[in-house]
Amino acid sequence: MTRDHTVIEELMAVDALGGLDGDDRALLERERESHGAACAECALLEKGFAETAGRLAFALDAEPVDDAVVDRILGSSDGSPASEAVVEIPQAPRDEVEERRARRPRVWLAAAAAAAAVVAIAVVAAGTIVPSTTSVQATTSQRLVVFTGETEGTLAMAFTPGEPGAVFWGSDLPDPGADRVYEIWMIEGDEAVSGGCVTPTDGVIAVRVEASIGTTDAMAVTTEPSDCPSTPSSEPILTADLTTMV
Amino acid sequence: MSQAMLMLERSAPIDMGDLSEAGDRDLMARLHRGDEEAFRGLFHRYAPTAKALAQRVVRQSHLAEEIVQEAFMAVWRDPGAYDGERGSVRSWLMGMVHHRAVDLVRREEAHRRRAEAAIPQAIEEQADHADDVVQQLGLPEERRIVRAALADLPEEQRDVLESMYFDGLSQSQIAEKTGIPLGTVKSRTMLGMRRMRDVLAEVER
Repeated sequence: MTRDHTVIEELMAVDALGGLDGDDRALLERERESHGAACAECALLEKGFAETAGRLAFALDAEPVDDAVVDRILGSSDGSPASEAVVEIPQAPRDEVEERRARRPRVWLAAAAAAAAVVAIAVVAAGTIVPSTTSVQATTSQRLVVFTGETEGTLAMAFTPGEPGAVFWGSDLPDPGADRVYEIWMIEGDEAVSGGCVTPTDGVIAVRVEASIGTTDAMAVTTEPSDCPSTPSSEPILTADLTTMV
Repeated sequence: MSQAMLMLERSAPIDMGDLSEAGDRDLMARLHRGDEEAFRGLFHRYAPTAKALAQRVVRQSHLAEEIVQEAFMAVWRDPGAYDGERGSVRSWLMGMVHHRAVDLVRREEAHRRRAEAAIPQAIEEQADHADDVVQQLGLPEERRIVRAALADLPEEQRDVLESMYFDGLSQSQIAEKTGIPLGTVKSRTMLGMRRMRDVLAEVER
């Protein structure tokens, strides 16, 4: 018997263009599960729509790109595809790390906004905690937030309230796995907005995210497929509550 | 593979699209060996289109260039992320750029909406004069094919596809903005994408 693919086809078409939202994202996942991983028709539809979406870009006139961009990419790697300019993250005292791990909060989305009760946050002037990091111009107006969660390693975020952008440092972070990345989320109410994806190098990340932290209630990190989805598909492994900041 | 299929493949006419894709896959294979020239080749071929896409979505040149840099940095650092079974190199690249651009624009939604009122006319003018623009940085045949396919769509389908892909609007945002029921937005998207897929595939044969 041939199975009807109308629903999943419609959802995949919208998803390929980046337009899927609301309950339909969960519906697509349910449809995928329902059809099964071996659904050849589903794979064909998804591949066809992804290919079509990618080619739509060629309807636009090309824009010249500064040659310095390619030099920066190649120059930053210094011959090694995984080495990126990294700043040191200060190691939290061992007992503090153990204490944070012991809390192991299980929060997500709406729960993340209420995580103040279970998530320990270190909010201090960055200049007082990162005196040895010369790569960061820390001032007393900056804030440093340390994430907590179930994963090994340490992750912190520095930002200046009212200004766009945040810098993330991580150390001793486990590899997210093959074809997986860490994705940073900003939680506003019950909505998770992606702040971008990053892969640690030898457990270390150092990345600037162009994000507006101003209205964010909480931050979270999940492991996601390498295509960096626009909605989370897994539980957070690290969280930080911003609602209690002063 | 059956004998009949082998014969079919051997007798199939060679098309330029296949040759182009074969070239891209060769570049990707060389990237695995850290070949900088291969990376430059891929970059010069697709970065201008990638920037055009990012710029159309985020509407700011410097942000578009950052998105392009980030996406190509990801390619350079992890060429193994490309799965040839799932599509062409060019669509994979544009997909990465589009994901990043849409994520950014949704984060900055409030800011974008403030700027939007002043920008559509400029975007429209650019589109209107697209064919007259002398600046054609590579892949002119691909551009002609995709534009023709897009222009051939029923207007209501084309509008939905363009709003979703080029403006970074979600299905719900399009429904809200146009007053069209959400179900209609989705069905128009599917019909438009089906048609684009079939037309583009037909042209490549």
